[in-house]
Amino acid sequence: MEIILTQENLNHALAAVSRVASSKTQLPILGNILLRTDGKRLLIAATNLEIAITQYIGCKIIKPGAITIPAKLISEFISNLPKEQVELKVINDNLHIKSGKYTSIINGFIADDFPELPTINEDSSIQYSIKVEDFKEAVSQTIITTSSDTTRPVLTGVYWHSHQGKLYLAATDGYRLSERCLIDTKSDVSAIIPTQTLQEVLRNINENSNEIDILFDETQVRFRINEIEIISRLIDGNFPDYRQLIPNSSETKIIINKSDFIRITKISGLFARESGGSVTITANKDNKNISIHSIASQSGENTSEADAEVDNDGQITLNSRYLSEALSVVDGEKVEFSFSGKIAPCILKSTDPKSNYYHIIMPLKS
Amino acid sequence: MHNALWQSVLGEIELMVSHATFTTWFKNTELVDQNDDLLTIAVPNIFAKKQFEVKFNDQIKGVLSKNGVNPKQINYIVNISGKHTRVNRETTVGLSPKITADELIADNQTIKQTTQITGGLNPRYTFDNFIVGSSNDLAYTASQAVADNPGVKYNPLYLYGGVGLGKTHLMQAVGNEIIKKNPSARILYISSETFVNEFLDYIRFKKKGFSDKYRNVDVLIVDDMQFIAGKEKTQEEFFHTFNHLHQNNKQIIISSDKPPKSIPTLTERLRSRFEMGMTIDIQMPDFETRCAILNIKASQSGITLKQETTEYLANNIKTNIRELEGALNQLLAYAEMRGIEPDISTAEGLIGNIRNSRPQHISSKKIIDQTAKHFQINISEICGEKRDKHIVTPRQIAMYLLRSELHLSFPKIAGELGRKDHTTAIHSVEKIEKAIKLDFMIREQVAAIKEKLYA
Repeated sequence: MEIILTQENLNHALAAVSRVASSKTQLPILGNILLRTDGKRLLIAATNLEIAITQYIGCKIIKPGAITIPAKLISEFISNLPKEQVELKVINDNLHIKSGKYTSIINGFIADDFPELPTINEDSSIQYSIKVEDFKEAVSQTIITTSSDTTRPVLTGVYWHSHQGKLYLAATDGYRLSERCLIDTKSDVSAIIPTQTLQEVLRNINENSNEIDILFDETQVRFRINEIEIISRLIDGNFPDYRQLIPNSSETKIIINKSDFIRITKISGLFARESGGSVTITANKDNKNISIHSIASQSGENTSEADAEVDNDGQITLNSRYLSEALSVVDGEKVEFSFSGKIAPCILKSTDPKSNYYHIIMPLKS
Repeated sequence: MHNALWQSVLGEIELMVSHATFTTWFKNTELVDQNDDLLTIAVPNIFAKKQFEVKFNDQIKGVLSKNGVNPKQINYIVNISGKHTRVNRETTVGLSPKITADELIADNQTIKQTTQITGGLNPRYTFDNFIVGSSNDLAYTASQAVADNPGVKYNPLYLYGGVGLGKTHLMQAVGNEIIKKNPSARILYISSETFVNEFLDYIRFKKKGFSDKYRNVDVLIVDDMQFIAGKEKTQEEFFHTFNHLHQNNKQIIISSDKPPKSIPTLTERLRSRFEMGMTIDIQMPDFETRCAILNIKASQSGITLKQETTEYLANNIKTNIRELEGALNQLLAYAEMRGIEPDISTAEGLIGNIRNSRPQHISSKKIIDQTAKHFQINISEICGEKRDKHIVTPRQIAMYLLRSELHLSFPKIAGELGRKDHTTAIHSVEKIEKAIKLDFMIREQVAAIKEKLYA
């Protein structure tokens, strides 16, 4: 293999793929990056056997070929080079890199041992094109409620599914739940995408991206942003039927400025560190306000109040961290927070009728 | 029938590919359907599917035809739970958990005040069945004192000695004794590896309850402390745990294979803390103790050994009680199966097998090799005449290690490195000893080489 390309292109592609390469697996070659000429382009790829990231970049090919090289070393070397042309040349399984005054030789490994990258059949799969901003918002709104508990794998991803003609994203860790409606769909989809995959996709979105193409088949999903492709396995199993959890009605409904709610939640959270984040929210109809109370037995206690529209008195205890995180992703200026008694789940959503997101938090037993 | 065929295919393939390749790709694969022309194999994920289709297909076909099966085509499908297979999938098949509001709430009691722990103790290890000899009587007495007055007298109690000399037994005996006296005592027995792993989980997944678990105990027993070496964050966490417990007069018991000062890369503040209580060495049991152990163990199996057999075993296995017990068990089992007397000639026949599996020791050659390797110079250079700085320092470090690790004499050290004059060796060792205290780089390098030596 012998090629010439710009440092910028190469650096950009290496940065995109190299994060996935890991030296912590049984197969040492998974710590490497694959470089392979394909037609008039160079394919750069890395995989950890859960997800694979590939990117094509344009280059001048003098001699086609392929090699794999340790991800960390090459990406760090290339990122430190000035913005000039870079020559890559494979001699005896070693990669000779030359750029201006810098030359280095990196010991590589033959490309034949690199795992085959999965492909997806575009004709038999379900396709979506989604605006990058929508995708970004929807994923960040749901990814926070995924679980990291590997004993329940189905909860460690975001559940993309069709329901009554719309595509929904949902995730729960058993303590809270979030659901976001994304777009209209005619196809039937039901796929749990691993959290890491979605994080990786988010990371690869930049200001040049407009649309993101998503392809589902039964066992895998592929995202494409510009020239970057991310293929991932789906989590096997059935996502719990979470819709039965959503309360139909509520006894107490509070409408409050989001910024006020965020402030008092954060303040009371400071005093809730000892008690596992536990804060108690009291809604008072006559005073037209809500108050948050938290106690730290060692350091003191706090009560913060904020004006709000309240339709009924009520009280609930929950984890302030969950509440802060939920507030940070709800859209709109004003939010509606409703609950029924001390043990039923509470709902947080925007008052904006166009909003298509809601967040459920289970209360703590106080 | 399907499974038998696939099993034999896997068996053969395991011999053809590397272990890592086999475990990565071939584990969890299954033959799900077999027609005359078409074979269907379920693989765990899309990556495996592609890999099988492109890389392993020919290999599998080859092995299949050796087994008399010649399918025209092999189909690979990704295994979706419950869809294709029946065996061993309960875990995923049954997994469509209906989450109800009640269940979620029940999970949600994040504030747990106390955790009742009697974790990790094996009731078999008691003081009664610990055999005391001159090699371990100090450790035994100190342990009993600790069991009588936990947290008061020797805190921490630090036991060290080679493998299979009874450290674990003694520590567990302390724990069991304390429980016997005070059933509500919270005792936690862990290996340092468990501590490391849980700490990593705590950092990585933000799992809760890590410090609660370790700081809410009355007695913390940590086995094989040496594995914490080199893990700095973990050491720091253990340091805080240690301080917390010690300040509240909770007993800490630690075992290791080396005294605190010889564990490479143990931070200074932990070392000094380990040394502030009681540090006791458990030595190799002497001949009489070994005989006593053998006799007691044999009588537990209802057999009385002849004097000469006991003596033969005790004479031949000197370093490790676990090995001694193993040899005895092997002898008794062998004798029972053959229906013969466990006498000295049987023992002689068996003991050869046992003695083969000794761990290798550090040799002077290994030290020089490792040092040279660490500094990336040749052995010929390190043993040669050159006095360039980048060779002299490694040479001096090698001499220092020969002295500190193997206790070789100075003339011998000089000889190992091709010097004639032993004063060079004396000078080098002194120089490095001094440098270790002053020079961070040297200290790091010596520690790194030591770590490789003992790895």
